[in-house]
Amino acid sequence: MSIRLQEVCKAFGPKQVLKGFSLEVRDGETLAIVGPSGSGKSVLLKHVAGLLRPDSGSILVDAYSVPDLGRKELIQLRRRIGYVFQFAALFDSMTVAENVGMGLRRMPGWDAQRIAARVAECLALVDLNGLADRYPAQLSGGQRKRAGLARAIAPSPKFLLYDEPTTGLDPVTTTVIDRLVLRMSDELGVTGLVVTHDMTSAYRVADRITLLHDGRARFTGTPDEVRTAGDEVLRGFVEGNPDLYFGSRRR
Amino acid sequence: MDRRREVLVGLVVVLGIAAGVFGSIWLKGGWRGGQTELRTAATSVGALVPGAVVKFRGVTVGSVEGIEVLPSGEAVMVEMRVLEELVIPQNAGVLLAPESVFGEWQAEIVDRAEFGLPPFLDYPEAGVLPGAALPDFSRLTASIDQIARNLTNISERFEIAFTDETAQNLKNMIDNMGVLSDGLAEIIAQQTERFEQLAEGVDESAQELGAAARAARISFEHFDSLLLGADAETMVADASASLRNLRELTEGIGGSLEDLRAAAQRADATFARVEGLVVALEAPDGSFGRLLGDPALADGAVEALAEFRGLLADIKENPGRYLTFSIF
Amino acid sequence: MAELLLRPFAAIGNLTLAGLESMGRAWRMFSSAAVSMRSTDVWMPLLAAQMARVGVASVPIALFIATFTGIVMALQASYSLTGAIPSYFVGTLVGKTMILELGPVLTGLVLAGRVGANISAELGTMRVTEQVDALETLAYDPLAYLVVPRMLAGILMFPVVVLLAISIGIAAGWFTALQLLDMSSVEFVKGLRIYFAPWDVWFAVIKSLSFGAIVTGAGCYCGLQTEGGAEGVGRSTTRAVVAACMIILCLDAFWAAVLL
Repeated sequence: MSIRLQEVCKAFGPKQVLKGFSLEVRDGETLAIVGPSGSGKSVLLKHVAGLLRPDSGSILVDAYSVPDLGRKELIQLRRRIGYVFQFAALFDSMTVAENVGMGLRRMPGWDAQRIAARVAECLALVDLNGLADRYPAQLSGGQRKRAGLARAIAPSPKFLLYDEPTTGLDPVTTTVIDRLVLRMSDELGVTGLVVTHDMTSAYRVADRITLLHDGRARFTGTPDEVRTAGDEVLRGFVEGNPDLYFGSRRR
Repeated sequence: MDRRREVLVGLVVVLGIAAGVFGSIWLKGGWRGGQTELRTAATSVGALVPGAVVKFRGVTVGSVEGIEVLPSGEAVMVEMRVLEELVIPQNAGVLLAPESVFGEWQAEIVDRAEFGLPPFLDYPEAGVLPGAALPDFSRLTASIDQIARNLTNISERFEIAFTDETAQNLKNMIDNMGVLSDGLAEIIAQQTERFEQLAEGVDESAQELGAAARAARISFEHFDSLLLGADAETMVADASASLRNLRELTEGIGGSLEDLRAAAQRADATFARVEGLVVALEAPDGSFGRLLGDPALADGAVEALAEFRGLLADIKENPGRYLTFSIF
Repeated sequence: MAELLLRPFAAIGNLTLAGLESMGRAWRMFSSAAVSMRSTDVWMPLLAAQMARVGVASVPIALFIATFTGIVMALQASYSLTGAIPSYFVGTLVGKTMILELGPVLTGLVLAGRVGANISAELGTMRVTEQVDALETLAYDPLAYLVVPRMLAGILMFPVVVLLAISIGIAAGWFTALQLLDMSSVEFVKGLRIYFAPWDVWFAVIKSLSFGAIVTGAGCYCGLQTEGGAEGVGRSTTRAVVAACMIILCLDAFWAAVLL
């Protein structure tokens, strides 16, 4: 089972963000979608989680067509998808432990004891054991991201969607987060979809990398293939060369 | 923590609802005991509105629930809710009247023996009390005042002008009218005083206002009986007799002196009007309410006064003309 | 030339469409929220907290306003009622205006500022920091989790707060009449009672129910519609308060026309 997007189109008002984006994420792999800010990466991720509906095209997650699901089915599906938000999106009014336990509370058969055990487990996984009773405002950026990750993995999802997991972090913390992403994939066997514009991070965590350019998947390949590819736009993005990147668009 | 919050919410909710419920009950005037429905029919209800209080011997015993004109259009049915334990007198009627000068009307359950005056409407249905609405106070007093002043003026002028027997007869009548006007003036003074008390006396309770109104109504009744009673008959007889004399007198004048004819005619017209007034007073259903209800009558009095003034001015200028008649 | 002539019509058309669109969005949100009320297991545990926040926490400010309104009403009533009108009408005026108008409307307007802004800012912040999305990904219905408990708390608690405010306002007016106006308790209470109808209290309750729904509803709607960071939160908070105040006043007139 995997994530499959076909010809997904989405516009916000006059602005066409996705213009027929197609992609397949294989079971168990971690795929990184890279692209400059504002290219629609987060929008893409929200489509996968069912937070946005495409104007056209199909989105299959675990063989379910996400846009066609009813409320109840969507809730069922979301329990299998963990979503790590760009700024963690922790609930300010709750402690870290409460945040992590949020997704578990409504699952049938989970009592307070079992939730507490699972929360401790998840916090241990992201090395936040000592901070369970802190509030989000008392955490650093990296700690917040890790807490967000713990919250996403608490219901034991099969899919993890990361929205810019390393943006705004120092290189050391970035590495810590990247290792966590890898750990999720290796230890928990989840299928990962990482949205990032940080190529270093993408190379480190991804099995395959896709460049989102002008609303479409411009290039998809393993990190090695990306390094050696001749595509001008991809090279422009990877090397951080605007002339090369935007040049093609102008042409 | 959570428990405390729930307790707090519960406390505020209970307090709020209690404030609403008990406040309403308190403002409404306490818990109501058992209530029973009471109905009355009247030809008119004046300014009575639903929600007005129902009183019995000065005590609030209920409220007016509904007012509706009967399908036949002949009467108005007033529905009231009153205390169940209330024992209503045998000969009870419902008097609809203002509670005070501020125009709040009330329905008062009265013994009809005490209040003979208003025409109670006997509605042919069991359990419906006869009802009657009183005229508005302010209109009543204003009219009385006007007429009384006119009559007083007339009587004063006549006292100056006539000295002989004929004049004496006339004066008798006027004196009777004077008695009448004194009575009126007294009532008016009473009323004025009461109203002033009402307006100034902020400490007076509603019951006192009611009592004042009741006293005022009784005063009117006295006046009414004055008009209908023996005094009035004597007065009217006196008046009629003197008018007859006066008429003969004026006829005589008309035959003898040419230049006096105009003056005589004026006097004639004047006395005809006064006679009209007296006849109206003399009429069997001539209750005071009717007198005041008839604006033509009041106007007549005013006109009569104006013509009298003309006549009297003439008498003052040429007293000789008139004095010759006295010798005659 | 033709373009110039058409421009005002286009502007009016745009405004109308925008208005209709936002009304439609609001309608959709509130009808969905009504459907979400079925998820009692989601909003029920949150209701007490919201009732405390919306209702209990608003009691002090509501009572403060009501106290001074009562005092001012009593003083101004006695100033206005001179000559022929008896002084017990001060009681009538204070009671009637507090129950029918000032209690519900002033409390509604003040709570539009306090509660509406609070809700809008909170939900707006949650929206722009993706907490609302996070709720959804954790399999929560944001309407059931955020909107339903807040609106229910508003609808349930506003009448309570208003009833307390009315009571305190009348008490303050009474106290003022005794202390500053040389009136007696008997007089004031007579004035209070003379035109009192129990329906007045129901009227106040109905009004405040609707105001509670409006204030919290405007807060929720504007909050969830927030776009664009801290500035967006500020904008939507302002919008929530202004919209709530305007609708309260319109609704006030509407109820007066329909129910009185």
